[in-house]
Amino acid sequence: MAVEQTDYEEIPGVTLTDRNVISDFVKKTKAQDILNWGRKNSLWFMVNAMGCCGVELLSTGMAHYDTDRFGIIPRNSPRHADVLIISGYVTKKYLPALKRIWEQMPSPKWVIAFGDCAISGGPFYESYSTHQNVDEVFPVDVFVPGCPPRCEALIQGFFELQKKIEAKQDRGTEY
Amino acid sequence: MDANTMIDSLSTQFPDAVYDTKVGSNIRIFAKVKPESVKDVCTYLKKNLSFGHLCCEFGVDYPGRNEIEVVYVIGSYEHSVILTLKAILPRDNPEIESVVDVYWNANWYERETYELFGVKYLNHPDLKPLVLPEDMLGEWPLRKDYKGFPNKTARNLV
Repeated sequence: MAVEQTDYEEIPGVTLTDRNVISDFVKKTKAQDILNWGRKNSLWFMVNAMGCCGVELLSTGMAHYDTDRFGIIPRNSPRHADVLIISGYVTKKYLPALKRIWEQMPSPKWVIAFGDCAISGGPFYESYSTHQNVDEVFPVDVFVPGCPPRCEALIQGFFELQKKIEAKQDRGTEY
Repeated sequence: MDANTMIDSLSTQFPDAVYDTKVGSNIRIFAKVKPESVKDVCTYLKKNLSFGHLCCEFGVDYPGRNEIEVVYVIGSYEHSVILTLKAILPRDNPEIESVVDVYWNANWYERETYELFGVKYLNHPDLKPLVLPEDMLGEWPLRKDYKGFPNKTARNLV
């Protein structure tokens, strides 16, 4: 006897987990403001030190700046993180690994381009081995210029990201 | 052993393979070597003249002469002389014997020269790119006629 295939989409009131119907509906309501309030106050970032800017990235997570008071916490696993900080030049060899880290991060997620190398190439402008224009590969929300930027600049960048999330202008979510 | 003695010993031992010898000062000597006998020369340098330290190995591209030079800088812990040994290869098919069996630290130097200049090292234990991705093999970015430099950086910001 053949097992009858149930068409779940026909049943009223049933929503499959591979659909975004609920979250798409919530995005149009005031509940999204509450969600975004929660998201902007728990921006856990991925500790992914890629160049010399990575040293500033590491010190930002240390006790001196105490970013925990803003909900900004360094995480060592991409599966815990909300924010990917591209903190250095992206070589052609490293780009597949960085894409993989990005794909491992659960949504909603955001990108900060940290330092001149990540933004424009910096001293590695026109290098044969670096990938140019990372903002075409990743949806970068905030650019933090500097060579390297100070830790305060990164915290400022997080504040700008919080403002964008609060105003629903971030590129991490489609509103 | 001083610089003159060493260069004399080298030219006497390899009268055909070693040519264009030069004594720069009493701590620097220079010599050119035929590519096919570079391993024999290095073995002799290590065993008999106590040149035990390969400081570096790299390539130089000369498109005008249509040649690629592979340069070995070899020093010693026992006497204060540094030897610069050069092997000249044709640019269209640069092939040279690997010296990893003599100087083990030449392994990564030769892999780097391979990926940047395209010098093929024969009998190298593990000849693959060192830092560049595999799909850049064949571009040889440190050759003078390399055209693959990107020029669209910061296009969105200007």
